[in-house]
Amino acid sequence: MSAQDDIELPETLSYHDWAAAVREGQLLGQSCNDCDHVGGVPSGACQECGGRDLTTVELPTTGTVYTETTINVPPEGFQERGYQVVVVDLGDARVMARIVGEHVDIGDDVSLSGFIDTDDDHPAPTFEPDD
Amino acid sequence: MTRASVVGAGMTKFGVHDTPMQELFGEAAFAAFDDAGVGPDEVEALYFGNAMGGQTENVTHLGPQVATHVGLAGKPVQRYEDACATSANAFKNAVEAVESGRHDVVLAGGVERCTPETGLDTDAMTRIFASASHRQYEQPTGLTFPAVFALLTKRHMHEHGTTEEQLAHVAVKNHGHGSLNPKAHFGKETTVEEALDGPVVADPFRLMDCCPFSDGASAVVVVSDDLADSFDAPVDVTGVGHATDVVPLADKDTPHVTQAARDAATTAYDQAAVTADEVDFAEVHDCFTGAEVLASEALGLVEDGQGGIAAAEGRTRRDGEMPINASGGLKAKGHPIGATGTAQIVELTKQLRGTAGDHQLSGVECGVAHNLGGDAATTVVSVMEGRA
Repeated sequence: MSAQDDIELPETLSYHDWAAAVREGQLLGQSCNDCDHVGGVPSGACQECGGRDLTTVELPTTGTVYTETTINVPPEGFQERGYQVVVVDLGDARVMARIVGEHVDIGDDVSLSGFIDTDDDHPAPTFEPDD
Repeated sequence: MTRASVVGAGMTKFGVHDTPMQELFGEAAFAAFDDAGVGPDEVEALYFGNAMGGQTENVTHLGPQVATHVGLAGKPVQRYEDACATSANAFKNAVEAVESGRHDVVLAGGVERCTPETGLDTDAMTRIFASASHRQYEQPTGLTFPAVFALLTKRHMHEHGTTEEQLAHVAVKNHGHGSLNPKAHFGKETTVEEALDGPVVADPFRLMDCCPFSDGASAVVVVSDDLADSFDAPVDVTGVGHATDVVPLADKDTPHVTQAARDAATTAYDQAAVTADEVDFAEVHDCFTGAEVLASEALGLVEDGQGGIAAAEGRTRRDGEMPINASGGLKAKGHPIGATGTAQIVELTKQLRGTAGDHQLSGVECGVAHNLGGDAATTVVSVMEGRA
């Protein structure tokens, strides 16, 4: 599968669907058909109302930095130091991600740039600052 | 309204212990028994907290092991795991057990070992602590617990102008408090300059913004309202609120308001029929300096956005209008995960009895404990008052 447009959105969003999408440069969330709440990661029920009638939605791949920190004391399994972890506001939902490239501040515009999977093959999305 | 009473309280010194967990817990439990004047025959059940023994020491099924060590073999034991709110959750269930009439006298407490005495270095323990964040949607970024609270605090700083210097004042205050508490991990005072000069762990947090890895145990004897007067020094539990919030952090509505703390506090205050204005002092979950700022606001002890300013102005110091963490808090007293929640109850009990020793506050009648787990997605708030 090459172009992200080719990915058919799964009816029920699982972690494996979400992770596969991250590897293809796509962020998937869920929109609740009862209350319209949008969640940024797969869940069995709406985080807001508990409804199970959820539609998988493609989230924007650009957003702004909601909050950020630079980690100098990493957990075992992460070799590097001084990496930046952010929560990105994508509009309807937020997602946690790693920053690659220049340091960003709250409010900066960022775009999805790929993923890392240094943690037992679990992908984490990466973002980079817009010019 | 009185939901239950604490009639005995005990804890180990928090710090570095080369002692197996059952022996650490035994020291706290026996102190609580002796303080209450009860023996194991009178204690009907154990509500026990341990968060990470399986990961840190290859010990699971610890409930009956510690029960046996303190003479409670044969009694029902329930073991709680709720990250850093582990033993507050155990305490909540102990209160409900005596309130409902299921039991009359129970023991609640917890134990944990987090220092290198476990054989685990900082990187390994940092990974184990990070297991309280989401496995799929947070841990793969390399998130750590200092970073979790850094994310919350950075947003608070952005919205309210809280400064690193104000955070340093929280550390200075709690180290000052801890220097008066012989049970505290750290007995040394520090300065704002020293705090601001430390190495960065996860910005804005430097070393002195972070609580230590600690070993320790704590325990309290909890009895029904009806039985309380037959003990020497009962202290009443008048409210316990327990709430959760969405996980992962990114999906919380407004992460830094720590909504679970606000919900738990509302419940606890309603049960106790008190307002935040009537609270005389608080023990809050200052795993990081920023966490104390967020907690002081969530509990209504300080106005929203004013938590950092209040610390810098000394309003939350032991001689201020709203003493917070007179024990030294997690920052200086230490944070053996599964022991922290009931250690706060030990502190409230001693303060309200007037037996806290060198760190006794004057004239306190109503205290609040705030113990959170994970990214504050679990919070338990307890209100305790001297028995009328």
